Amino acid sequence: MSKYLTFPEVAFKDRELLIAALEEIGCKEIKQGKELELGRYYTDQLQQTVEIVIPRGRIGNDYGDIGFERTAGGDYRPIMDDLDRRRALNGGFITRLRAAYHELVVKKVAARLRGTVHRTVEGGVVKIKVRY
Amino acid sequence: MPEINFTIDTQTGEMEMKVEGVQGPQCADVAKIVTELTGAPAIEENTREFHARPCVKPQVQGKKNA
Repeated sequence: MSKYLTFPEVAFKDRELLIAALEEIGCKEIKQGKELELGRYYTDQLQQTVEIVIPRGRIGNDYGDIGFERTAGGDYRPIMDDLDRRRALNGGFITRLRAAYHELVVKKVAARLRGTVHRTVEGGVVKIKVRY
Repeated sequence: MPEINFTIDTQTGEMEMKVEGVQGPQCADVAKIVTELTGAPAIEENTREFHARPCVKPQVQGKKNA
């Protein structure tokens, strides 16, 4: 069944880094605003308003838009169609976004501390050392 | 030289962080910068260095004779 799901366990605190991370993983079209409506392409997709939208069909999300709602605490949480979870970026949308966001967090922390960055990749693990 | 070791698992997107070379609660200041961007960690452990206190030797200056 096609319906929009919110991922409460996934939260992004910094909007600027979130947008940069979305671009990093290949989202070329990103709409931003207040109370943007997610498209209702199927009857089970209930009305949802968000602040960031990746339109349907851009990254394998064939069933609906992908949105990010802003919570009362200021975090951004993803909303996407149940059936797109395994389709968007071949099922890797959330994990790739989190990994890209975290790499950008490290860059920002290093810049704030005026530190040097040394990055290595071992298997599926990215190791970054920041000296300051 | 203080350093922070970040580990990002590309299979899950999760990140771990370890602050080294910073004695005492000063490393909490570094952690605060990170949590401002990531949110509160799922797990937080203080290392031995956190409980260490920087060694400050008292300086005693003799009185100068007038």
